[in-house]
Amino acid sequence: MKPTHSINRPRLAPGARYHWDEVRQQHQIVFPEGVLILNESAAAIVRLCDGRSTEDVISVLQAQTGEADLSGDVHELLDRLAQKGLLRDSQSPPPPGEG
Amino acid sequence: MSLPKSRGPSPQPSPRGRGGQSAPNPYCLLAELTYRCPLQCPYCSNPLELNRFRNELGTAVWQRVLGEAARLGVVQVHFTGGEPLVRHDLTDLVRTARQLDLYSHLSTSAIGADHTKLSSLRDVGLDALQIGLQDSRPHENDWLAGAPAFEKKRQAVESAKRLEFPVTLNVVLHRHNLDHVDEVVDLACRWNVDKLELAHVQYGGWAFRNRAALLPTENQVERATEVVADARDRVSDKLEIIHVLPDYFQQFPKACLHGWGRVFLTVAPDGAVLPCQTAREIPGLVFPNVKETSLEEIWFRAPVFQRFRGTNWMPEPCRSCDRREIDFGGCRCQAFLLTGDVAATDPVCHLAPQHGVVEEALKEAANRSTDLQFRVFAS
Ligand code: SF4
Ligand code: SF4
Repeated sequence: MKPTHSINRPRLAPGARYHWDEVRQQHQIVFPEGVLILNESAAAIVRLCDGRSTEDVISVLQAQTGEADLSGDVHELLDRLAQKGLLRDSQSPPPPGEG
Repeated sequence: MSLPKSRGPSPQPSPRGRGGQSAPNPYCLLAELTYRCPLQCPYCSNPLELNRFRNELGTAVWQRVLGEAARLGVVQVHFTGGEPLVRHDLTDLVRTARQLDLYSHLSTSAIGADHTKLSSLRDVGLDALQIGLQDSRPHENDWLAGAPAFEKKRQAVESAKRLEFPVTLNVVLHRHNLDHVDEVVDLACRWNVDKLELAHVQYGGWAFRNRAALLPTENQVERATEVVADARDRVSDKLEIIHVLPDYFQQFPKACLHGWGRVFLTVAPDGAVLPCQTAREIPGLVFPNVKETSLEEIWFRAPVFQRFRGTNWMPEPCRSCDRREIDFGGCRCQAFLLTGDVAATDPVCHLAPQHGVVEEALKEAANRSTDLQFRVFAS
């Protein structure tokens, strides 16, 4: 298992995809074996995992929500997703114009 | 393909259908594009009378079906068969699935899965690959498959990994390869796949016809179970191993497809909609067709989907059993094949009144060796 802070540029693993399930009104990560249901705040984090840095993810979220310190929440979620093999470290930042 | 019956995402706690129907919406569509296949596995789950099903749906109908599935709540689609790659429109169908934001899997024998093909499927949005392997030994593999396939599988896995597909290697286990299960694990590690699915033959279709020649002995099963458990610890950091135990040797049946009409639906090559891939073996069931009726109408209202949904249809001992919402009384196809009564408790269950037929089959298989009959698609 990877320690939390080894993820510098979180990106969903190959084979894992974010999906909005219109019928069930759920945010999900879909992967070969099934789906993981996300709540609103987890979904907001996951949608930012496009290869940008973890610090960027945290600051964008803080700006969006007006909350002072979300770094604990973000690290905890990234850690859990990495342990499930759904998240990995991207080598490069997102292409310009994305996100 | 021979699809293990326990596969798939777990259903969520009683999701409700649109419009207040009490059935949950399906999660998973098995799109059986064709029964044609270059291989001849003797345990194939395809129907015995393959030639009856030459009338395959066209591209436009499949595209409509994918749209209906997405609106019905399907999240994942498995393109399967037969060998889906024999269809020239596979790329178009995968593209449509992606446009609908469906997660798409391809189950393939690897015949036809060269790098160019896989790469074009990647480009249109295919998400994951399942490659069937018959045995860890090239010669045995090709004997079981009825064609020189081993090397093509190795190359397909290599290409798929280069293209960053999550790859599952599916190995169907039976008497003739169960003793090689340690080699299978080594090979899966060497080939660098993400997941190894070891599922024992499910005795329907060709496999039922070949049952006496395929059933392993109890010793074989015990030994293999130990080997797999050890291997799982040893390789846990690089390979996930799913071992679906053979139900004939278990106390309780499998939760076949997580319950009838609950999570999965299958559309067969000719457009028939089935609660389960092998349900055609049960005489007397009427399967609606996507050519005439929408998937939504079929899922919520067709009698064949209602028939074994929930627990009301159950006989004793299931009806008052604690496990009735866990295994749903087992497999309907198996109940019919083994007892002649489609609504019987799955005889694999040690509580079933007709459990004796399973014990007899095991004894019979232990005492004699029978030749395998290979599936042939006459053309
Ligand atoms: S013959 Fe083998 S590879 Fe072909 S569909 Fe049947 S099980 Fe799959
Ligand atoms: S009696 Fe029926 S419900 Fe109970 S374990 Fe056996 S098959 Fe399952």
